[in-house]
Amino acid sequence: MVKIFIDDKPVEVKEGTTVFAAAEKAGIPIPHLCYHPAFIPEGSCRMCLVEIEGMPKLELACSTQVKEDMRIWTQSKRVIEARKGVLEFLLAEHPLDCPICDKAGECKLQDYYEEYGLFDSQFKEFKEKREKKVNIGENLILDCERCILCTRCVRFLREITKTQELGIFNRGVYSEISTYDGDLVNNNYSGNLVQLCPVGAITDSDFRFQIRSWFLQKGDSICPLCGRGCNISIEYHPGFARIQRKKRVYRITSRKNPQVNDFWICNLGRYEYSYFDENRLTNFISNIDGNNKGLDQESALQFMVQKIRKLYNTKKTSRIALILNSWLTNEELFLVSRIFRSDLRMERIFIIDPPQGEKDEMLLTAERSPNRKGAQEIGFDFKALNLEELSKATDMVIIFGEYLINQFNASEIKTALEGVKTKILYSSQDTELIPLVDMVFPTAIIAEKGGSLTNCEGKIQSFGPVLDSIGESRPEWQILLDVGKKLRINFHYYSQFKSPAAVLEKMEEEIPFFQKEK
Amino acid sequence: MKEKILTKNFGLKNNYKIEVYLEQKGYQSVRKALKEMTPEQILEEVKKANLRGRGGAGFPAGVKWGFVPKVDKPKYLCVNADEGEPGTFKDRYIMIHDPHLLLEGIIITSFCVGIHKAFIYIRGEYEIVAQRLEQAISGAYERGFLGKNILETGFDLDVIVHRGAGAYICGEETGLLESLEGKRGHPRLKPPFPASIGLFQCPTVINNVETLSNVPAIILKGAGWFCRQGLPKDGGTRIFGVSGMVKKPGIYELPIGINLKDIIFKHAGGMKAGKKLKAVIPGGMSAPILRADEIDVKMDFDSLVEAKSMLGSAAIIVVDEETPILEVLKSLAKFYSHESCGQCTPCRIGTSWINKIVKRMIQGKGKKEDITAIHRLANNILGNTLCPLGDAAAMPINSIVEKFSEELESTLSN
Repeated sequence: MVKIFIDDKPVEVKEGTTVFAAAEKAGIPIPHLCYHPAFIPEGSCRMCLVEIEGMPKLELACSTQVKEDMRIWTQSKRVIEARKGVLEFLLAEHPLDCPICDKAGECKLQDYYEEYGLFDSQFKEFKEKREKKVNIGENLILDCERCILCTRCVRFLREITKTQELGIFNRGVYSEISTYDGDLVNNNYSGNLVQLCPVGAITDSDFRFQIRSWFLQKGDSICPLCGRGCNISIEYHPGFARIQRKKRVYRITSRKNPQVNDFWICNLGRYEYSYFDENRLTNFISNIDGNNKGLDQESALQFMVQKIRKLYNTKKTSRIALILNSWLTNEELFLVSRIFRSDLRMERIFIIDPPQGEKDEMLLTAERSPNRKGAQEIGFDFKALNLEELSKATDMVIIFGEYLINQFNASEIKTALEGVKTKILYSSQDTELIPLVDMVFPTAIIAEKGGSLTNCEGKIQSFGPVLDSIGESRPEWQILLDVGKKLRINFHYYSQFKSPAAVLEKMEEEIPFFQKEK
Repeated sequence: MKEKILTKNFGLKNNYKIEVYLEQKGYQSVRKALKEMTPEQILEEVKKANLRGRGGAGFPAGVKWGFVPKVDKPKYLCVNADEGEPGTFKDRYIMIHDPHLLLEGIIITSFCVGIHKAFIYIRGEYEIVAQRLEQAISGAYERGFLGKNILETGFDLDVIVHRGAGAYICGEETGLLESLEGKRGHPRLKPPFPASIGLFQCPTVINNVETLSNVPAIILKGAGWFCRQGLPKDGGTRIFGVSGMVKKPGIYELPIGINLKDIIFKHAGGMKAGKKLKAVIPGGMSAPILRADEIDVKMDFDSLVEAKSMLGSAAIIVVDEETPILEVLKSLAKFYSHESCGQCTPCRIGTSWINKIVKRMIQGKGKKEDITAIHRLANNILGNTLCPLGDAAAMPINSIVEKFSEELESTLSN
């Protein structure tokens, strides 16, 4: 450890730490454009210059390593002047089209100008004319005029994906980012370029001109689209209820977590969010004729519980089949396990997940559900489901999730379920399964509920709801708690839980895997 | 002039052929170094000789070699023959007229540092020079001065000539390394310095052609003799390349510390008929300009720093009264704007901005505030760039704006 002083504030850091990291530790922000902690320092933007005692020139915070007793000034007159100088240069050749720039509101150049600039432009010459709309890859649009040549994009593709699709071409003020010979950026992590770009040079055609960034709110969540459990932010428009907009969620961005996804997420996680708002099931549906035709959700639940209770009382729970999926949280799967295995002593439990997809060498796993590891640790196995078997000696089928439709076609399912008296579906999406069952309870998606997921490497990650659940939909953990209590087999056990967190605490007691690492 | 070190064989026909060079008692220095001296002794001698880098920065060569760590990695020598500094044409003459002198320097240096592969990075435009070098190198291979087991000492060395593609920035040592590695010529952040992490991540010595060409004489005649040719702290001679409005432009090998006035008026024959001296750029285009009344100055690194200029590559550009200073400024601004590699902000945009202002002034659309703007912008570049190119642009531009402000103002539209 070495002791240094930043703006007269003593800081103790490990030897070899950069001035930038030391300042960060001391809570002193240093403006920067080209520096990104994931890459080798480039030192080209010159925004992070600081004054160090004994050094004749200003030095780079991003690459200079601290030495014992080093005295650093980040706000001296010289430093501020240098920052202003750099900003003046950058803005001289910048188009200043902020009103139509997607990055406005979250642009580092804007932020720093507000902090250090606020000068009148002395630039009386003609700005260089450059290409404003170059398609450099799927969803990626490059504006060469806005580009400040920080080369974060180039370095991401060189150092992280190692695909090297982008390079710098031409020299001096004519330098430009471009792909080689008309090739495109083509890898599963290309969406990160948009998030990496400190200005509005690379924009996302998925987000372009959709909404101003300052209208968006951010919530932390976990990406459920594969087994990795990448940490994400869901950026949504909170005015969904007031103003009729087509969707709530406008983009998914990555959140830093060195233990899981570092700074990145794949394109699947970034762009596959249409299921948040499209094809959602908002209301309870009853397909039953006769006496129970006009059931509401509450009484339908009561109806279902009575059916189960009847079978339980006659020791016929073996006539119930339960279909689960590993999009359910740890807590939900645990409650399922308690209710259906411990209380009802059922054995016919199947897990039907979305079909496997391609995996890549970075983050994306082959499995397309977020909690297979959790399901496994709670004690579920992944035995294959045979539809014919489902139809034999079955009075009741309870299906969680819509993934059955991915494995079998609707007519197959219809035939199999024909002889089953009671067919109940819990689903968040409107699919072909709906007409095949008696009752459909709308459920919340991961983004709308709290809980935890166990990623492919066994890391348990908790999250809270970011979005409100829509219509009559409810998170499965609430539904399951209701079922547990209403069955009156073990009422007190389920009454103790008021939140997913309380369930997880119980799991820590009951299942060794879930015990907190000490 | 006591004795010529670098230009003694200039004008000798076919000197690039190994037979001719050996007739001039060539490769004696290599024989002495490899057979009679240890690497430590060579290093000691070069350090004592105070041989300062001839490329421009003037860093002592012996000290530079001493920085190379003793690690178990290949080490490289890169000979900087990019010679991109405007006004500079000395290395070309050495390589054309006495390529074996450079090769001797390369062999001794490599032996001293423990290098088995040397690259000569030569500017792309020097096609004929590169051919000449290749011919000299194959001669040296034939006679066993290069290749395996040189002079039966067990020392191996290969020399490879690599032609650049025409970028000033590739004369900057780390830009040169990147280019040599096959990448875009962008300077690297320092530290780490090339002596520890250089070419292909290995320890690398980078020296200018003229610097290395001095090494054979130091070995043969000793450090003491070498220092006596120049100044005690700045040994040897320099090849001064004089261009511009003088009677006899060309190269002159003269002792370090000679007066600039003498170079121009004695050796280069004074001003061309009817021309009056206005200003001198004493060390290549990146050196701050000297007014006619400032040229009574000794030509060594320290004296020129005192005169607020620099010796640089010792290329002397003589400007006469009839040449508008705005034209000089235009050449400067255009050159640096064209040659800025574009990597760091102040140099990329600063040089281009200044060039745009100067272009407007040339068109007669200059305003008084443009002159202050140039000064302010140059100051924002100065010291804030990634590599020395920014300073190289800012310093001479500043000196012109400061020393010739009246003349510049007289060119303004109103």
